[in-house]
Amino acid sequence: MPSRKAIIGTASTLSVLLAWEWASRSGLVSERFLPAPSTVLATLWSMIFGRDLLYHAGISTLRVWGAFTLAALMAVPIGIAMGSFRWVGAALEPIVDFIRYLPVPALVPLSIIWFGVGEGTKIFLLWLGTFFQLVLLVADDVRRVPVEFHETAMTVGAPWWRRLTDVSFPSMLPTLVDNMRITLGWCWTYLIIAEIVAANSGLGFVIWQARRFFQTPEVMAGVVTIGIIGLATDQLVRALHRRWFGYLVR
Amino acid sequence: MSYLVFEQVTKVYGAVEVVAPFDLDVPEGELVAFLGPSGCGKTTLMRMVGGLEPPSSGQILLRGERLKKPDRRRGMVFQSYSAFPWLTVAQNVAYGMRYRRDLSAAEKEEQVQHFLALVGLTDFASEWPNRISGGMRQRVAIARTLAAGSEILLMDEPFGALDAQRREFLQLELRRIQQEEGKTVIFVTHDVEEAAFLADRVIVFTRRPARILAEVDVTARLGASRTLELREGTDFFGLRNELLHYVRSTASEEEGTA
Ligand SMILES: Nc1ncnc2c1ncn2[C@@H]1O[C@H](COP(=O)(O)OP(=O)(O)OP(=O)(O)O)[C@@H](O)[C@H]1O
Ligand SMILES: [Mg+2]
Repeated sequence: MPSRKAIIGTASTLSVLLAWEWASRSGLVSERFLPAPSTVLATLWSMIFGRDLLYHAGISTLRVWGAFTLAALMAVPIGIAMGSFRWVGAALEPIVDFIRYLPVPALVPLSIIWFGVGEGTKIFLLWLGTFFQLVLLVADDVRRVPVEFHETAMTVGAPWWRRLTDVSFPSMLPTLVDNMRITLGWCWTYLIIAEIVAANSGLGFVIWQARRFFQTPEVMAGVVTIGIIGLATDQLVRALHRRWFGYLVR
Repeated sequence: MSYLVFEQVTKVYGAVEVVAPFDLDVPEGELVAFLGPSGCGKTTLMRMVGGLEPPSSGQILLRGERLKKPDRRRGMVFQSYSAFPWLTVAQNVAYGMRYRRDLSAAEKEEQVQHFLALVGLTDFASEWPNRISGGMRQRVAIARTLAAGSEILLMDEPFGALDAQRREFLQLELRRIQQEEGKTVIFVTHDVEEAAFLADRVIVFTRRPARILAEVDVTARLGASRTLELREGTDFFGLRNELLHYVRSTASEEEGTA
């Protein structure tokens, strides 16, 4: 039997969709501005064949995952070092904190000067938007590992570097995966900006193209596709989290 | 040569003096119980022996060598539960031997089984620490520390969360292991009877800052071997009552100053 939460969730989503459908169909709002959900869905379906929607979605997903993987692979060791050694933290925190507050869109022109309009710019912008956030989160999580865990390791003879791999890392891993799930979501924001400004492929590009010809249903179908991918990824990571970190459940 | 020696050890946190100049000689293979009121500085003393906290002044020597950083020679059972949640019960016990090179994988596995059985957790070997009771988690920590094979065991109220039966069993086992393997043990407890039954020597502390109020040589009065019959005898009761008097005097001191 579905849970009460699932029933309420489904019911409220359905009512919003129905209200929206009714608003567009009855002419309350122009289809030109707000096409009905059914129209958006039909457009989405036809775009899969007519506009290579899946190809563009695939490209965008690859960009997000590529840049994100790069950012995570760098952020985890550097963040662990920042959180574990006071001097590393003291040395890097000012720079990281500064860059973290720079709005990514403001760096688009600079990025195009440096990397042109190819993949380099997109990867760079996404990396910029996630690495500096993630590295601070990792450093904080490492600092929150209970001292007893480290002291236990020390009294059974663990050298300091083994404490990083055998205590700090596994102890913070569940929070790390959660933080990654959240930062991965931000990646999509930066990706769309990058694809609107400098791309001839990807979902951002598709949306922007459709806008030029005032194809509101196609614009919305593109947006919905991003939403679906985001939701699916989020649910997948949540499921993996439950599976890997089942030991946390009391 | 003397074995474990506290020389004029003090600990001050900010303006709070937690350990007053403290001197104690612990011979190799002795089980010493620290008995004292809450907050008097027992854990602090243990942490200094373990190298987890430096003394503010004075020093702690092991065979004449000044103790500093923690290592495997001094194993610790913490007052709080310290099992790693991401390892199973058996893996936690095995963790005690993770950095030992003197044992083969097969020997380690055998030791894990041995210590799991000793603390009565064989049936829970593949369970996660978060799914077992606090008392069981404490037994995981005890087994892990024993598996580490340290020559000095620092045990901070290790049996506090256990039921009476399990507690008595583990007291006897600890005494047996300590006697057989010649381990030196410092054992913190609030329980007068536990101190009298387990220890070769009981140190009763004053309230903070920790000073020695009394020292009772249990082995001189009861002998080294401890059995359940002994626990029911009059000699044991006499000793227990004596300790109880000391402990009460620290309590009345508390009322006087409060
Ligand atoms: N890191 C610290 N900073 C400041 N004060 C501390 C610190 N650690 C301990 N203390 C203080 O030192 C005193 C002694 O603490 P300790 O934990 O050694 O007592 P204890 O004898 O083990 O008490 P209990 O029987 O309750 O475990 C306490 O008053 C405590 O508040
Ligand atoms: Mg204590």
